Amino acid sequence: MATAATYFDGKSARDRNVTVVAAGNSILFSGPDVPPTSWSLSGLHPVDAPSPGQPYRLTHDNQPGARLIIRDDQFVKSLIASSPHLKGGYSKRDIGSVVGWTLGGLTTVAVLGYLCLTLLPDRVAKILPNDWRNKVGKEMEQSVVEGARACTTLAGEAALGALIGNLAQGAPDMPPISVHIYDLNVLNAFAVPGGNIIVTRKLIEAADSPEEVAGVLAHEIGHVYHLHPEAQLVRLTGIDVLTSVFTGTKGGNMTTNMAFLATLLKYSREAEKEADAYALETMQKASIDPMGLKTFFEKVLKLEGGTSKDEGAFKALGNIFATHPGTEERIKDITPLPAGQKAIPALSPVQWQALKSMCEK
Amino acid sequence: MMDSQNIPAAQATTLNFKYVPRPGLLKIALINFFLTLITLTIYRFWAKTNTRKHVWSCIHINGEPLEYTGTGGELFKGFLVVFGLIILPFSLLQKGLQIYLGDQHPAVIGLFFLFILFTYVMFGFALYKQRKYQLSRTLWRGIRGTMVGSAMTYSLTYFGSLLARYFSFGWATPAMNTTLQEQMIGDMRFGDAAFKFKGRAGPLYPTYALCWFLTLIVFIAAVSFASYEAATWFGTELSNAYDSIFNRPDNTEPPRRTLEIIGFVTLIIIAALLTFLVIVPMLWAIYTAKEIRTFANYTRFDGAQFHLNATAPSMIWLAISNLLLFIFTLGIARPYVVQRSVRYVFDRLSLEGAIDIDRIQQSQAALPKRGEGLADAFELGAW
Repeated sequence: MATAATYFDGKSARDRNVTVVAAGNSILFSGPDVPPTSWSLSGLHPVDAPSPGQPYRLTHDNQPGARLIIRDDQFVKSLIASSPHLKGGYSKRDIGSVVGWTLGGLTTVAVLGYLCLTLLPDRVAKILPNDWRNKVGKEMEQSVVEGARACTTLAGEAALGALIGNLAQGAPDMPPISVHIYDLNVLNAFAVPGGNIIVTRKLIEAADSPEEVAGVLAHEIGHVYHLHPEAQLVRLTGIDVLTSVFTGTKGGNMTTNMAFLATLLKYSREAEKEADAYALETMQKASIDPMGLKTFFEKVLKLEGGTSKDEGAFKALGNIFATHPGTEERIKDITPLPAGQKAIPALSPVQWQALKSMCEK
Repeated sequence: MMDSQNIPAAQATTLNFKYVPRPGLLKIALINFFLTLITLTIYRFWAKTNTRKHVWSCIHINGEPLEYTGTGGELFKGFLVVFGLIILPFSLLQKGLQIYLGDQHPAVIGLFFLFILFTYVMFGFALYKQRKYQLSRTLWRGIRGTMVGSAMTYSLTYFGSLLARYFSFGWATPAMNTTLQEQMIGDMRFGDAAFKFKGRAGPLYPTYALCWFLTLIVFIAAVSFASYEAATWFGTELSNAYDSIFNRPDNTEPPRRTLEIIGFVTLIIIAALLTFLVIVPMLWAIYTAKEIRTFANYTRFDGAQFHLNATAPSMIWLAISNLLLFIFTLGIARPYVVQRSVRYVFDRLSLEGAIDIDRIQQSQAALPKRGEGLADAFELGAW
């Protein structure tokens, strides 16, 4: 079987007419100015899969630059029948290598992700020097409160100190903390690195009993105890680096950002649970009624209509009201003091008034 | 059979361009989308390559299709080099400084601006290298293309053109674009045959002036419309509202009515801006189409002159339909977007004059081993 074809030698753009013959394990071609050439079938590669209206193009391992163009469909058909690899498209080996590389890549991602998100943040958070934690915490505090007035009165500070002291009765290993109240018109409380806890005026106003403020503080102290803000900071840095590894850009793209945001939220949910548990245990041991935390949660849920309107960054920093599936569940888990254990007031009425009026001018 | 001693003298032929679509693009689109998703976008290099191989092979010149010989691995290596040499060291340095010195430290801010400056200076470099890689991986009749000049020279010209455009309120654009195009086209080769670009920017200026002044008019109209609407709806109440927002005592809630007014006015302003953002690019399509037609006419290959029949309405339609296609398929249709853009060019491209094709010899320029790393980092073109 023979057919007319076109040959390009890869050295000049000139087209040369040749006649191609299939001969067992190879094809032979020659033309007016092309010496007889033999290409083995095993070394042949199609440029594209055969396609209607498209000339069929072949190249050979021995002459990677040369092209043989066949326009005779019958000839191409019989050629492919004798050696199926000339059909082009995806071979089993191609598919295998794609699957292999993909699985290998995903494993690398999983390992890197585990390192940067789970294994390292908690460990790194523990070895961070204190002055660095304080410095970063201060910076973060400044950027969050954005120049709002710090509420300080002597009596108020004293009351706050008493409240923390009462809580510390239930947690002898309580980390050093520093609570700052700001004249902010949002209902919020959060912990930043270095044991700094920020509470807003609106939260103090919304609280109906010292036990409610005690519950919120105990929860935030839980974050400080577990170094959640520090770990989250390390995690964010890790995510930043990972994202740029994947996309090659600073800032990442939609796919990677969504994947990482989901991961981040998972960690902040776990952090909330840990802080809740710490708060509950501390209050029970200190004999401060844990129902304060519960009533406050319920109040906030009602106030906010069940959804938090706060910024994502707050959530990432351990916002006490980060709403996500399970808030009701969190409330449910808070149980009153066991029967027989007598609750002591978190603050005296006078101290409570001093705390409540801290932001009054 | 002809006597092999009597080869007829090579003859000049005219070239015709045709885009001949073939089946298989849907499969590529689906595979690309799926693998890009599950590999957290790392597959994008292979995805681009799949699309290019298909689309290139649909471009027929005198019945002979183009061939794309690039590989995903080459693009991936290009990415790795740029990432390892530039992005990663910079990111680590920045993170380190941030952690030690804090966000607001001058060194951190300075480094950030240095990176921005680097991006602007190297933008042209990325464009040039991208073109060089793609040409070197494009075969027609077994012959590949190349760029023979310096990417850095082009990049500096490009950076200069950005400054010139900025300081001339855009008026340097036609002149600078002509200079840039002259460098880019002048460096292009197919085999050993050169492309040439010769022409003045002058003929572009009437169209440029038209678009520039129309933009100004649209801008003034949009601003007047927004302020007129705001004023007629709310009159003096409006200025009072703004006054009470900016001069209110600390942390008191502004009255509801004030918030409503401010919200409504903001909506009007956004509507005006959006109109502006839609109308202005459409206006500038008039200039872009003129520039493309002019530049094509200024371009010669082996003595033959190009024509590219680009028109503003067809370009606007191409851009809008491509955008909608991309959005409503969540990006799955990306290969079709590429095909439509390439097809737009080759359906409208022609070459006037004859060329002695047989005389063209293979390019002796070294092949780049990797490609487009910087272009990928700068997110240049989705192809």
